[in-house]
Amino acid sequence: MVSNATRLWEHNMHTFKLLSAFFKVNVQMALAYRADTIVNILLNVMWLGWELLSLSIIFSNTTTLGGWGLGELIALLGVFRLVNTMMIALIWPNTEKFNQSIRDGSMDYTILQPVNSLFLVTFSRITVWRIWDLALAIALIVIGINMTGDSTTPLQILTFILLAISGTVVIYSLWIVLISLTFWFTKFDNNVTILHALLDSGRYPVTVYPAWLRIIVTFVIPIAVATTIPLQALRGDLNIQQIVTFLMVAVVSFIVASQVWKRGLKQYSGASS
Amino acid sequence: MLKIFRRLWQVNWAEQWQYRANLLMYLLYWLVSPIIYLAVWTSIANAKGDVNGFTANDFITYYMTLLIVDQITSNIVIHTFGYKIQDGSLSGELIRPIHPMLTNALVNNIAFKALTIMGLIPVWIVLFFLFKPDFSHVALSSILIAAPVMILGFFISYLLSAAITSLAFWTTRVYSIHEFYFALILLFSGQFVPLTLMPKLVQDIAQYLPFQLFIYFPIQVILGKLSPAQITQGYIMAGVWLVLALVLFNWIWRNGVKRYSAVGA
Repeated sequence: MVSNATRLWEHNMHTFKLLSAFFKVNVQMALAYRADTIVNILLNVMWLGWELLSLSIIFSNTTTLGGWGLGELIALLGVFRLVNTMMIALIWPNTEKFNQSIRDGSMDYTILQPVNSLFLVTFSRITVWRIWDLALAIALIVIGINMTGDSTTPLQILTFILLAISGTVVIYSLWIVLISLTFWFTKFDNNVTILHALLDSGRYPVTVYPAWLRIIVTFVIPIAVATTIPLQALRGDLNIQQIVTFLMVAVVSFIVASQVWKRGLKQYSGASS
Repeated sequence: MLKIFRRLWQVNWAEQWQYRANLLMYLLYWLVSPIIYLAVWTSIANAKGDVNGFTANDFITYYMTLLIVDQITSNIVIHTFGYKIQDGSLSGELIRPIHPMLTNALVNNIAFKALTIMGLIPVWIVLFFLFKPDFSHVALSSILIAAPVMILGFFISYLLSAAITSLAFWTTRVYSIHEFYFALILLFSGQFVPLTLMPKLVQDIAQYLPFQLFIYFPIQVILGKLSPAQITQGYIMAGVWLVLALVLFNWIWRNGVKRYSAVGA
């Protein structure tokens, strides 16, 4: 028992060390292009300004959108930006590297490493300057929750955080499935475009969408699971059964995704053979 | 000259046809925002009866028309040309006796549009049955009046984007500049919401900018919302901006080519 616990501890430390090494390398890469980083941050501030302006235009014409108030939409914008940051800082750069490695066969070296290949493939590239975007997103969420008044209970905030995490896991799992498909269809290098295309739907509560669109962004490409649903938990719209279901969905989808990844790896035969 | 354009068309059509799967992905990506705006505004209009005089059907017809108008007037020259200046592959085109930006790149863009519009038609029909817009008040004559505006709008939008793309002769950050330009279009063109629902200040500035000619103005002409005086004024604006855009592009292009020294030269 003791040795098992120690081994688990060592394994976790190892993963953590690797993550911080990845982070360091990526910081160095970003520092090589300092001016670009500043320009990118300025553009990001500009888009935040646009997002807030568009919300203010909507709310100058109405007091609620799909039953939601301005504060709730600002919090939703924060959650949307969390998912968006994951998309841009993690999913985009790693997918690009992965697709390249399938095409030129450098995936061979990744598999040879004594570390979980899925971990290596999905975390080795991080667009570090986007980290400040996370802080901004959290600020938006806090401001949004404060604007909704004192009606929010600590329990609702807790379920909100849990469902935001599980929603992120669902998107992460879908991403793994999409890139795993490249093992079977080598030319499928548009693998994450569909995810990216529908991402914008996360800016608004799915309750305002027509039924067919709601079904697509909830069940097919589940952007809403990571955006609208955590916010619904915060509003107290969800009962305990629904909350447990969404948490289970996250666990199951991660298990399915890692199985698909393993099958895909078996399928992989290198670029030259 | 006509022969050259025909040949360019064949080459570029074949080139774009090769990437038809990518093109469908682009179309999907581009479709999502207008549909979301449509859903947001119709839900508000349905809840309140109308938004400043705009009924749910007004919003549906606006965005359904936008899907077509935007596809006609927009361009992708930054993506098809910017890298040529940066990696030096422009050199080969510069020694040809035809203008790279105003012939080859232009025809390439039009071939791209022709293909995306072909992809858009079935999607548009499906959306038509999903949203059931009431177009009964649209007259054929309004569409005929709008057609030249859309063509003018495309050329203005193309020349302005070409001018920005040509900034790549000076800076490697041309994509960031273009992102800023794209935000201006979003703000002043009527892409997010019909301009009359924007803040007063935005409307006042938008009047004098070319961006409303890409989206808001042609849509309003098609939907028959403008008086003959307003239409005339829009046409005059389009004429003025076409000349301005042409002068601006030429100036930047000429100075840029003078500065150009290809990679490896």
